[in-house]
Parts: sequence; C-alpha cells; structure tokens
Amino acid sequence: MFKKNRHAGLSLLVIIFAALCLPIIIAAGIAQAHGVELEYVERNAIEVTARYDTEDPMAGAQVAVFAPDSPAEPWLTGTCDSAGRFFFVPDPEIPGLWEVQIRHAGHGGLLRIEVDESGISPAGTTGFTGPQKLLMTAAVIWGLVGTALYFSRRRS
Amino acid sequence: MKKYGLIIVVMLLLVSVLFMSGCNNEDMLANGDETTADPAETGTLVFTADGEEFIREGFLSKDGWELSFDQAYVTMGGITAYQTDPPYDTGQGWDIDYQVKVELDGIHSVNLADPTNDPAVLEELAEVPAGHYNAISWEMLRASEGPSSGYSLFLVGQAEKGGEVVDFTLGIEQEVAYLGGDYIGDERKGIVTPNGIADLEMTFHFDHLFGDGEEDLDDPLNQEALGFEPLAVLAVDGALEVDLAYLEKAFSAEDYELLLSILTHLAHVGEGHALARFIN
Repeated sequence: MFKKNRHAGLSLLVIIFAALCLPIIIAAGIAQAHGVELEYVERNAIEVTARYDTEDPMAGAQVAVFAPDSPAEPWLTGTCDSAGRFFFVPDPEIPGLWEVQIRHAGHGGLLRIEVDESGISPAGTTGFTGPQKLLMTAAVIWGLVGTALYFSRRRS
Repeated sequence: MKKYGLIIVVMLLLVSVLFMSGCNNEDMLANGDETTADPAETGTLVFTADGEEFIREGFLSKDGWELSFDQAYVTMGGITAYQTDPPYDTGQGWDIDYQVKVELDGIHSVNLADPTNDPAVLEELAEVPAGHYNAISWEMLRASEGPSSGYSLFLVGQAEKGGEVVDFTLGIEQEVAYLGGDYIGDERKGIVTPNGIADLEMTFHFDHLFGDGEEDLDDPLNQEALGFEPLAVLAVDGALEVDLAYLEKAFSAEDYELLLSILTHLAHVGEGHALARFIN
C-alpha cells in the first residue's frame, strides 16, 4: 500500500502560517448574470503548510481533517497545493481538538488545532518548553531572593 | 546571619515546591488507569506488526538488486499502548504523559515476509478501557528461540542483479526501543469504542535499509539507505550469511555507522516516524 515514493529520514514539518483572518472571498458583493447569484462571506480559515525536513513542500500531499466529535471519520479530505498548503474552515459549532493528518511519499504527520468559540490556536504550542520553564523558575527564585534580601536589610 | 537564614528558608521552600511538582508528575505517569475500567466502557485492542508490501512482495534496491524475502523475523517485547491527552507527539521526546496504559505481555516473534501477514496479528487484548490509543512503544529484542534465535531482526532471501544471484541471511543482534505517536495512514487506528474492536500497528519500513530503485538515486530515501551492494560484495559463491558482529569488521566504518543509523529509522506507526534508541 505504501510501497512507492518513500523518502528516508524525512520527518513531516507542519506549520500553521496563518490561522486567523484569512477571508474567504467568494465574490465581491452580489452579482447576477444568466440566473447566477453570487455572494461572499468572511470566515476565519486555517492555512496549513507541510514540508519535508529537506524544506521541500509536500506538494499534492493527502490531507484528512478530523473533527473532535468524529475522530475516526474524516470531516474533510483534500490535497496540498504545489507549495504544500492546504486551507480549511473548521466548523465553530464543533469546538475541541481538530486533527489534520497529512501524508505523502510514504511519510506523514498529524497536526492538532484547538478550536473554540473565541478562536483558533495551534495545539501543543501553548505550553512552555523545558528551557523556558527553567528560565522562569530561575527568575522567580532570583526575585524572591532579592525580596528576602530587601526586607532583611530593612530589619537590620 | 538572620539574613542568610531567611534566604535559606526561601530556597528550601522553593526546592520543596519544585520537588513536589515533579513528584506529582511522576504520580500522574504511574497512575494511568490500567485495571479499573468499567466493563461497560471497554473494548478490544488488537496489536499488529506490518512490513508492508516491500517485505511481502520484494522490491528493487536503490542499487539495482531485485530483492525477495523468505523470512523477515522481527521479535518484539514490552509492547505498550497509551491514551494521551494532550496527544503525544514524538517531538516531545521520550517523556510521555498518559491517562491510560495497556501492556501486551510476552515476547512476540513474527515473520513479516509471510504473505498472509498483512499485517501480522500479535495478540488481542480484551476489556481494555475504551478510548483513543494514540501512542505506542515497543522494543525490538533478540529472540531466544525459533528461526531467528539470537537476533532481533533476521532477514533471509534472494537478491538478483544482471544474472547474479545472492542467497542472503542477515541477522541483526542490536536491540532497539521505539516510541511512536498516533497511527498515520489510510485509516485511523487505535480508537476503541465500548464493546468495539480496534487495531494498533507497529510498522517497519525496509526500504529505509535497502533503498528504493523506483525512486531517484538522489531521493533522500536512497541517499540515506545502505542498499544491497555493500552486502553483495561480501558474498562467496553466491551465498552470504552475516550478522552485525561480522559486518562491524567487514564493512567500512561509514557503512557500519549507516547501518546502525538505519535501525533507528526502521520503525514507524503507519507512516509516522517512531523515536528510537539502542538498548543492551
């Protein structure tokens, strides 16, 4: 099934370049011609860009989007464009962790995106890294030590 | 003096807080719900292993050898599936926080070259807590019995190129631990519904070892693969029977290091790379 087109040592790099404020414009205003009625709405869309670790775009990669209420069945499927990009608009009425699976050339990855009524944020990037935690801990300790020294000096 | 005492007290308090927070994390890791699931909220998890069409049907190596396999034994132990929320990602490294963990007892040795092993079913675990098993770890261990005894990975097959035929046996003694995230593939795996059944797959990509002759030679896959030629030159009268200990002496240092490196890229969960580290 996955026999062809495998890239060794490649790990999928999936980056959200812009999750918000990508207006999907179907048409400007309303136009009528030959019985066709066109209109547009603005929606917040997610743009996913997928690359191999060689920086080559995953052009034509298969994309499957899974909604939180149905993790086994794709809510949407599609393919990345020639730049490895894929756009979709999650249903705001299905809040939770949306998953985007991208596969091509025998390798793939999974991107998680937290969606709620107030907006979209990439899952897994809201926490702090180990070095960040260490730095914050050191800063807090230093602050407390300084405070202790300050009050100690005043008493003496 | 009083000043230094105050500083020491503050420092001790901070260290205590940090220590306790660390302990809490450990407790969470150790307190995965392994045995107390409500029977009405359980299902069956089937553990499988797959070498894909490459190993079942054979393939063309990057250096033009047509490979076919009679045996491709992989021996696995310590197989453990996890439910993780937030979902585990291999980018996190080896620390995995889980809510549920189920373990498959015993050592399982399977021949991935067997055409019926599409994939190979290792064992079913009944009455596991329902939920999404989105991470799996296992170890590739030396077999203590059977055709691949003494080896964690054991390949037997034929290679043919331009009328030259090499019957080869390649044994790998090195043991490797793997940890992978959610299954990446045509379908979702590992989602156990109440009274339902789901499978979870450990996948081995053998084109990482020999390369893929259907791809360009400068494809990253082929650039990082060993190919078969370094093995073919060691054959005597069309026969090659080697293991890792032999290859350490027979290979160039570069090829031997490459072979070791490939062992860390062999395992996947579907198409998702697994972390790997040598053990023993």
